[in-house]
Amino acid sequence: MLEEVVLLAVDERTGSLRSTREFGTAYALVGALFFDLALARKIDTDTETIHIIDRTPTGQPTVDRVLAGMADKPQLTTVRDWIEEIFLRRDDLEGEALGSLIAQGILRHEKTKRLWIIDVERFPLVNDRPQQHVKARLAEAILTDAIPETRDIMLVSIAEQCGLLGYVLSGTQLSSRRHRIETLSKLETISRKVNEAIAGLDANRQQSIGKIV
Amino acid sequence: MMEATEETRGDWRVVCVKGRADAEAADALESALRSAVEANAKVAADFSALDYISSAGLRAVLQAARAAQTKDRVFAVCGMSASVKKVFDMSGLHQVLTIHGELPC
Repeated sequence: MLEEVVLLAVDERTGSLRSTREFGTAYALVGALFFDLALARKIDTDTETIHIIDRTPTGQPTVDRVLAGMADKPQLTTVRDWIEEIFLRRDDLEGEALGSLIAQGILRHEKTKRLWIIDVERFPLVNDRPQQHVKARLAEAILTDAIPETRDIMLVSIAEQCGLLGYVLSGTQLSSRRHRIETLSKLETISRKVNEAIAGLDANRQQSIGKIV
Repeated sequence: MMEATEETRGDWRVVCVKGRADAEAADALESALRSAVEANAKVAADFSALDYISSAGLRAVLQAARAAQTKDRVFAVCGMSASVKKVFDMSGLHQVLTIHGELPC
């Protein structure tokens, strides 16, 4: 899930990354990581709490590091607590996903200079099929009324939180399917709690702006 | 621990689910609901004896509903206790699934 979202953030023409350094996106990437853990059957959630159900490693370094960290802190029990915990020590989830996509031969890494001094990193697609596949799944999940696969429900919610759906569908399509996007984004506890965390962040930001003004 | 049994009531095949539908039980729940959907035109999941449902359990129900939709079968969830209904309501699953207070048969 984490890799699919980061892949979606790569501009297919330039190889640059679209707006994935914002704090809101960082929360959404934490959500993607929890979805990876849920899909691997390592954690389960209910409306508030999160449970580790299997501590054996998955073989994915980022996921396993977080899983081991969770096992070491049994005092944290709620989904929201864990989203904040991983957000605070999130390291470079995006960088690790990019590294894995490069290792799989999907992206390559280019480092250039702008105005001779500013480092510019790009990640052009070597193989565009995986990104096209992710976009096609998102489009189908949103534009049809069929119940999507679990993975695609998760993908819609994270792509929405990262602000990436505008790179997949037109503005008209998005506005006409807004209710569908909101319905799918609400189905999973992890998505709802990530949304709460992002809303909390936005409220704090508004408060700070209010104080300055 | 979850237990699923089946019975026929009128033209409905009813899958009665008892106990806890958590990650440990999710595969068995999905499998029980899917096999009923495979073999019957109308399937109702009777959750009146279901004590608890987690996200993994909800995914199992949703994927069974997806299988029913793909095969053009009728699938309904019914008889939920207040605590299980709360989980369904928070997830907004009533917008995706057919939910009845009581069994439709």
